[in-house]
Amino acid sequence: MRTMLKFAKDLTATKPNKKFITSFRALKRQYPSGEDPWGLDLGFFRKVFAKFWPFYKHYFKVRIFGGENVPAQGAFVATSNHSGQIALDGVLISTAFFSDIPTPRILRPMVERFVYKTPFLGAWIASMGGILGDRSNCHTILSQDEAVLVFPEGVRGIAKNTAQFYQLEPFTLGFYRMALETGADILPIAVVGAEEFYPYVFQAQWVANKLGLPCLPLTPNLIPLPSPVDIYIGKPISLPKDISVDASDPVIREQVEKIQQQIQTMVNEGLAKRRPFLAAKK
Amino acid sequence: MLTANKINSVLIIGMAGGLARRLASLLIKTYPSVQITGVDNRDKPRSFQGKNVTFQKIKYNRSNFERVFRSQSFDIVYHLGRITHADIWTKASDRNDINIIGTQKILELSLHFAVKKVVLLSTYHVYGAYADNPLYIPETFPLRATFKHPELVDVVEMDQSATNFMWRHRDDIEIVVFRPCSIIGRRIRNTMYTYLTSNYTPVPIDFRPMFQFIHENDMTRILLMSLEKMPSGVFNVAPDDTVSIQKAKKVLGSQTIPTPVSLVQAFSKFVALPSSVPAYLLDYLKFSCIISNKEIKKYLGENFLQYTTWKTLESLLRPPKDLDS
Repeated sequence: MRTMLKFAKDLTATKPNKKFITSFRALKRQYPSGEDPWGLDLGFFRKVFAKFWPFYKHYFKVRIFGGENVPAQGAFVATSNHSGQIALDGVLISTAFFSDIPTPRILRPMVERFVYKTPFLGAWIASMGGILGDRSNCHTILSQDEAVLVFPEGVRGIAKNTAQFYQLEPFTLGFYRMALETGADILPIAVVGAEEFYPYVFQAQWVANKLGLPCLPLTPNLIPLPSPVDIYIGKPISLPKDISVDASDPVIREQVEKIQQQIQTMVNEGLAKRRPFLAAKK
Repeated sequence: MLTANKINSVLIIGMAGGLARRLASLLIKTYPSVQITGVDNRDKPRSFQGKNVTFQKIKYNRSNFERVFRSQSFDIVYHLGRITHADIWTKASDRNDINIIGTQKILELSLHFAVKKVVLLSTYHVYGAYADNPLYIPETFPLRATFKHPELVDVVEMDQSATNFMWRHRDDIEIVVFRPCSIIGRRIRNTMYTYLTSNYTPVPIDFRPMFQFIHENDMTRILLMSLEKMPSGVFNVAPDDTVSIQKAKKVLGSQTIPTPVSLVQAFSKFVALPSSVPAYLLDYLKFSCIISNKEIKKYLGENFLQYTTWKTLESLLRPPKDLDS
């Protein structure tokens, strides 16, 4: 009941809370013009997160573990498992990095190409800090000491049937090569709780292919359920100096599998410690 | 690269344009003894002042260009005479003829008559506006403008023929090809200037493209500096900073009509757009085409521009100043 009241109070508040304002001021210093060449729009970003904040805090009841591991400055590649059918996990991680860690950072999610072609969606994602998932873009933004958010499982990560929840799909290799090329650290992240936003899912992949969509989840609930979310942030991983960016795929895959295994372990440990939720699998 | 004592006579093609006229003034200030011949298929502008400058109105065709080159020898040729798609009075076939065949002829004549340097003004439109454009497109990026808009063949072909010519004859003649972002200024009346400063123009609500704007004065200075400071090559010209089209319109304070561009584009397949709005430009209101300036900085330095994108926009709110001020 108390949570509901707090949720209602924050949702109807005319001004964002103090922590939100302080975080936003810090960002304003980082982006004085309020925009950047990728299309970030700090004004829009603020408006959206001010509205989303009560959901983050009281609806999804997000908890952060390891916030002190986030570098206050410099480039890094935040690498997370992907879950929840509609990529809401990306928004929750971004909100956490913006508002719930000691030094606020805007995480730049690498976004699929089809998003930018889609009216409204592409504009919104870009305004919120999204970046087209292109290798040269990733290289450019890391060279500018920004932090990117990648989901190396890709669409396969969110498009899972219920039986596959919390089982990580094989990671792609591009993010690792990019980190090697720019000398950026990899920050492992595990999100626990997002799969239960839509606990019963069937992927109508055949229909999705016909419609030219990457996936088409069919689920009884259209609105995500209030599954409590825990975000675990591991210590930054510095990449070995003796591996070349042009190393063969098997060499890179071996390293990527280690990172995937580390995130899978963080997920498994998080599942053991998660808060009870009606729709969660035992 | 040239030295000042080798710059005695200059041919400027497209002399009636605002940029060309400013360039002529700057050339005379920098090289007081230079003789400038300006040609254009448009009338001589009323404000044209011609000390050291002669203006000839000619129809752009092979024989007229040959006549110009035979009448006088030139050290430098500036080709600023590209016919744009916003020029509604020129037929598409004529535009192609002038831009593609005309450019080829100008380059051949320049080589034949031992011109030392040709400077050609292309455009960043050659890259095309695409959702998957990377940020900071380098000069080596494929020219994809015609993939979606075959009518841009003249723009791409003009650029490519100049580039090919440059590599083929790099030992005999210097050729500099510039691909500037949108050039704006109070003296230039191009489509972008008109769009930015006009009231009640549609502004996208479904897309948020970013733009780079270069000030006319900066572009003129670069055209001048290219003579002595830049070797043969292809160079993007743009500032480091960017602005969204929505914010640009807001800065200029013009009234806008928030519009879903995707609907306008779909609609334009059935109902013709105003003739001054080429269909391909709608893509630039959807997707960014942000170009890299790394290459030009190698020759002109980090601070090669006086105006950022923001300063360029703000300058539109003030009356035009003298070029050197």
